[in-house]
Amino acid sequence: MTRLSFITALFCLFAAWPVHAHDLQHSVDGAPAVVIKLFYMGDTPFAFEAYEIYREGEKLPYQVGRTDSQGRIAFLPDRAGAWRVKAFSEDGHGLDFKLETDTAAVPSNTEKPAYERYGRIAVGVALILGLFGLLSLYARRKKPQ
Amino acid sequence: MHIPDGFISPQTYLPAYALAAGLWGYAARRVHRQLDADTLPFVAAYTALAFVLMMVALPLPGGTTAHAAGIGLLAVCFGGWMAFLAISLVLAMQALLFGDGGITALPINALAMGLVGSFCALAAWKLLTRLHETLALFLAGWLSIVVPAALVAVVLGMQPAIAHDAQGAPLFFPFGLSITLPAVVLPHVLVGIAEGVLTVLGYRYLTRLRSRLAA
Repeated sequence: MTRLSFITALFCLFAAWPVHAHDLQHSVDGAPAVVIKLFYMGDTPFAFEAYEIYREGEKLPYQVGRTDSQGRIAFLPDRAGAWRVKAFSEDGHGLDFKLETDTAAVPSNTEKPAYERYGRIAVGVALILGLFGLLSLYARRKKPQ
Repeated sequence: MHIPDGFISPQTYLPAYALAAGLWGYAARRVHRQLDADTLPFVAAYTALAFVLMMVALPLPGGTTAHAAGIGLLAVCFGGWMAFLAISLVLAMQALLFGDGGITALPINALAMGLVGSFCALAAWKLLTRLHETLALFLAGWLSIVVPAALVAVVLGMQPAIAHDAQGAPLFFPFGLSITLPAVVLPHVLVGIAEGVLTVLGYRYLTRLRSRLAA
């Protein structure tokens, strides 16, 4: 009888083994990460919006998720190389850009605009006014007063 | 409202480029015939204003942002084709200098905001100006934002159906029409109010300035 009980208990233990796969464990660790901050002009964060990160040339994403309340994405590259980051909101705002990082999560050669934003507004206005100035000269030559 | 790069499939932006290129050429010919050295400084100033307006994002409820654009103002002051070219120029510069609105999305942004927005504004103004000029100007501004927003929402919302992989996963913009229409249009219904007020004030200012200069 005791032997039968032991065998039954052993059987139950092994039969229940797959259940252990659902017993989610966790560990906590600190690791270097690439932190990307997305924000609108005026520092309004691009918060709780969807993003996807791809290894260069791959179609399946390496990481997907949503930005945090500060509009940040943190990801831990598993190798050095180029990464493509896509972020998008339901109303059509978003970004699609590339960055490079080494295995220690130190970014390099991130795609950055050539000018700072406010400087570029001034450049844009100057370009528009200059272009229309040239057009004005052309129009005056076309129709001499 | 600007659509960034990577959101639009080639099946959408290539035909849009072909259509926009033809319309840019036609608009340039139309504008060239009416080119007036006295008007151009005003067009320049309002185009520069449109450029700055599009850079200033207004925070809206829900954490998103939107911006006025000066489309209605350009259309009622200088005509639809001039407004189309001016807004296209602004969008091209934003795409090249700022990455606001992508190069691939440029024709869609230009057709929606520059062409449809301008001619909607012009139609509203011409139809209603005899009844009530201020109301006509306000509606011109409001429509110049809301109608392009609806068009952009439709183009974005159609992307999952146009471009997807074998499993049906979207290759470009992932949200469908049921999400994009309210998400894009509703904020612009509010922004349209600012655009309407801007159109009324800008048009009145230009009319006064022109009459003062003519005197």
